[in-house]
Amino acid sequence: MRKNTTSSIISQLILLVFVVVWIIPTFGLFISSFRDKDLLANSGWWTSLTTSQINEIFRTENKDSQYQENGNYIIKGNFFDNIKGKKISSFGITSKNINQFLVGEKAILKNGSEITVFENGDYIWKSQDSFKHKNGKRIFITALSPPKFTIENYKEVLFKEGVGQAFLNTLTVAIPSTIIPLIICSFFAYALSWMRFFGRDTLLAIIIASLVVPLQMSLIPLLSIYNDIGAFFNIGAKSYPGVWMAHTGFGLASTTFLLRNFIKSLPHEMIEAARVDGATHYDIFIKIILPLSVPAFASIFILQFLWVWNDLLVGLVFLDQLPSEIILTAKLRELLGSRGENWEILTTSAFVSMTVPLLIFFLLQRYFIRGLVAGSVKG
Amino acid sequence: MLALILSFVLSATSSLYAAGHKYSGPDLSGQKVTISGPWLAPEDGYMREIAGIFEKATGATVEYGGSDSFEQQIVIDIKAGSPPDIAIFPQPGLAANMAALGGLTPLSSGVKNAVLENYAAGQSWVDLATYPDENGNDQFYAIFYKVNVKSLVWYSPDNFSDNGYEVPTTMEDLIALTEKMANDGNTPWCIGLGSGDATGWPATDWMEDIMLRTHDPKVYDMWVSNEMPFNDPRVLEAMDFFGSFALNDKYVNGGSKAVATTDFRDAPNGLFTSPAECMMHRQASFIPAFFPEGVEAGVDYDFFYFPAYSTKDLGKPVLGGGTLFAATNDNKATMEFMEFLLHAEPNEHWMAKGGFLTPHKGADLNAYSSDTFRKLGEILTGATTFRFDGSDLMPGAIGAGSFWTGMVDYTNGKSAKDVADAIQASWDSIK
Amino acid sequence: MTIFSFIAYIVLGVTACISYYHISNYLLDFFTKKVFKKNYNDSAIRAFIFIAPAFIVLLVFILYPVFETVRLSFFDKFGREFVGLDNYIWAINDPQFRRGIINNLGWLLIVPTLSTFFGLIIANLADRIWWGAIAKSIIFMPMAISFVGAGVIWKFVYDYRGPGDEQIGFLNAVVVFFGFEPQAWITIPVWNNLFLMVIMIWIQTGLAMVIFSAALRGVPKEMLEAARIDGASELKIFTSIIVPYLEQTILVIWTIITILVLKIFDIILAMTNGQWQTEVMANLMFDWMFRGGGDSGRGSVFAIVIMIGVVPIMAWNIYKHKQEQKI
Repeated sequence: MRKNTTSSIISQLILLVFVVVWIIPTFGLFISSFRDKDLLANSGWWTSLTTSQINEIFRTENKDSQYQENGNYIIKGNFFDNIKGKKISSFGITSKNINQFLVGEKAILKNGSEITVFENGDYIWKSQDSFKHKNGKRIFITALSPPKFTIENYKEVLFKEGVGQAFLNTLTVAIPSTIIPLIICSFFAYALSWMRFFGRDTLLAIIIASLVVPLQMSLIPLLSIYNDIGAFFNIGAKSYPGVWMAHTGFGLASTTFLLRNFIKSLPHEMIEAARVDGATHYDIFIKIILPLSVPAFASIFILQFLWVWNDLLVGLVFLDQLPSEIILTAKLRELLGSRGENWEILTTSAFVSMTVPLLIFFLLQRYFIRGLVAGSVKG
Repeated sequence: MLALILSFVLSATSSLYAAGHKYSGPDLSGQKVTISGPWLAPEDGYMREIAGIFEKATGATVEYGGSDSFEQQIVIDIKAGSPPDIAIFPQPGLAANMAALGGLTPLSSGVKNAVLENYAAGQSWVDLATYPDENGNDQFYAIFYKVNVKSLVWYSPDNFSDNGYEVPTTMEDLIALTEKMANDGNTPWCIGLGSGDATGWPATDWMEDIMLRTHDPKVYDMWVSNEMPFNDPRVLEAMDFFGSFALNDKYVNGGSKAVATTDFRDAPNGLFTSPAECMMHRQASFIPAFFPEGVEAGVDYDFFYFPAYSTKDLGKPVLGGGTLFAATNDNKATMEFMEFLLHAEPNEHWMAKGGFLTPHKGADLNAYSSDTFRKLGEILTGATTFRFDGSDLMPGAIGAGSFWTGMVDYTNGKSAKDVADAIQASWDSIK
Repeated sequence: MTIFSFIAYIVLGVTACISYYHISNYLLDFFTKKVFKKNYNDSAIRAFIFIAPAFIVLLVFILYPVFETVRLSFFDKFGREFVGLDNYIWAINDPQFRRGIINNLGWLLIVPTLSTFFGLIIANLADRIWWGAIAKSIIFMPMAISFVGAGVIWKFVYDYRGPGDEQIGFLNAVVVFFGFEPQAWITIPVWNNLFLMVIMIWIQTGLAMVIFSAALRGVPKEMLEAARIDGASELKIFTSIIVPYLEQTILVIWTIITILVLKIFDIILAMTNGQWQTEVMANLMFDWMFRGGGDSGRGSVFAIVIMIGVVPIMAWNIYKHKQEQKI
């Protein structure tokens, strides 16, 4: 028994290592999407619960805001504009030495004037002669910033960056692109399983072969066809129906393959009995096959939906990259380029793009797995 | 070519396109113009504002979509025959390729004349936008809108004065200053080559600027047209000169490893951090659009001319570039939009936003957002040689392909010779 | 796109599709039963109605592009003039092409192997542990994330800042913590390929795990118990009972992942765009097709190579299918 316990502990440890390694990247992204953007750019997400040190540059007011007091000229102000929580620990007056003075100390400038900076961001600058500077003097501060979580990033991404619109666009692409192939392929799979016609086996072989055709090579030939069709009807070549058809085409082989495996496995006595009773294939399909295939449909629906939702290339080529048509993954890629290291935008958008797949995944996990297994373990 | 630049400072003409003259177009209600181009935030916002002026005046709707992979996207679209009405090409080379495919619609002679008339040195802008069509006949295809000057070094005047640095006026001084900065414990340069699918291009601008400063402009022209092979010792020398900055861990922010991974839009941020991560950033006139929010031209940043050698008798060369608008459709609204760009109003509107220069003589110089931009005129008028961005004139497979990737390989430690040999080989393979 | 037009679009699209089947079958019934008073149940017409849409889609979206690509690979960059084998000869002499092949081979060797291996281990462990279901969910989660999303996640892990700066990339933070120099991971040739492969393994292991987990339930319990009573160690049981029993499943998973890896594109596009010698066939194809004006002839050559790469897998699948038919 004892040996079993040790081996169980070892098993648990190994599994734990896998789980930790697998979750860290996503977890880091998740935490980061709620962090303040300045903190995000300057410290790792694992430090998000600790107080972090930040360096900033502020400018004092210019000469226009000076006033006289006891024979001195004075400029006063606050660097933080009412943002609470940050505490200045030291400051400097040249870029060469940014923390020359502790907070509250008097820094004496070359012209004899004195500046003092306080913990809460207040500063006071005194001089015996009147100030003449047009641009404020730069003050370098080192401040401690408490852990801060915010939903600002989400607001910014959803409303300003157009991710919300892209989200809707993606839904418009994904729902029909999932349902249409399901309908078309279920009839196809039924025909391949239970109908007799010339060339059935050849067709099946073609389907299997098509599983491995890389879709990148189809882009230009297809878009030209689209264009001819579009010109014929005098509409643009890029449209939502066009994308639906493209996804139907690219998902056709795998969807048919999986569905056929399932439909073929249904008891054939049932179907033959119905045939004897005079039911047409259409009746059989609607009344017998459909109700029995619900679990398989559910799983393939999820698979196809995830594939379409996560697709980049098809959406990039068959839709205009205009705000009214751009899909989430394309938007995300655009942000990846234009916002280079604006991690707050990137992490948040990435997370927004993942919400639907993750939701579907966690809610319908059971079906999802069943669908995969139905198609592959049998294979 | 000098005249081309003088344009920036020339005064207004009295035509329809002149300053202060509000654009008013025909009624195009219900018509739609789609535009796609490489501009993303924040430039896409300015582009939409410009489109808004057009929408207001004509009632047409204009949709702009920007893409980081515009260069690939437009090829897919044009080959398949479903491009947007107007494409904004970042390089004449790509536009020429598309024209050769028969993907672009030539512009009317009226538009061509308007460019000749209203753009200073109009002829050169027309020449840069004239390409053979699919039958080999030369046609005029595009309007330059939003041009830029590349030979600039951006810096923070405060950081310079804190450290007692002087703005260098010769290349010798610049090299000495770089060395001095490094000795002081400062990092002289911020260099970032990252740009999505176009990663590497900022290094090609360095190469071009250096070529113009080390050799006669004729050598530059021969290099761009490949009359002189890419692996000529003179090119290798220029590459190694770039390397003397970019490959020196002490000279570049983050060390040489960071050069190719840093996005060009993020690279200048180092000028504004506390403490400063770098002192200088060589980049074209459009870069302030990517500076951090709230920094002010002339106060937080300024620029100086990327200087020439005092010992070489090559004068003061200036490198420039520009984006071109080309139509793919012959419909009325599209052609009207093209003409609209030649009016002063859309030029002035963007001038006020910054990061925008125009050769338009009719645009009011007071529209520029700051003295900093007006000062660009001085650099331009002081120039004795002007050359258009060489990589943009090379064939697409080189200037938007192996030259970019080659420079990335170079910053990653490949020798100049190997890089240049590979670029030349790819050039040979497309001849 | 407003909410309204969005719903209208979806309803319209789906209705159109359903109507086709319903109306055409209704018409067929109407004609056969009411007009001809005959029951043509097995009529070729019905088979045609069932198959036609899918067949047209197959023809247009898969077969036609395949033939078009083959044709283009023998033509010049505009697809106008016949150039014979020039494009292929160019490819063989092109260093990028050769590096792409080597990289692709690396991907094909490493990713399916490790994904299958990890998947098998995890499935085997998780089934015996009370929190195994949670563990499986976590391992499986990356499957639901897009390649581009995964790109962001991993860019964040591999982020590089110069030595001395505070690292925000997790990997570099760990490396610095142990006192080493931070590295710009995705720019180190050869090794960077491995860092990209890690992403694919991270995604695909879940797939392998799930299928193994289902297949493991088929392993006869008596066999395992008998082995345990005989005092065989868990490792021994794993290697000499479970693995041989799952041989068939292992091959299937291997195949699925191999096909995915052959077509690998998005991850590389998002992470490095093929720079720093990480190019693979699909990215080179995309580049040659579209970059700088494009060259459809050379681009097609890469597509053909990918297709040739999958021929053995395809042949094996069809062979298996034939065998299945015989039984």
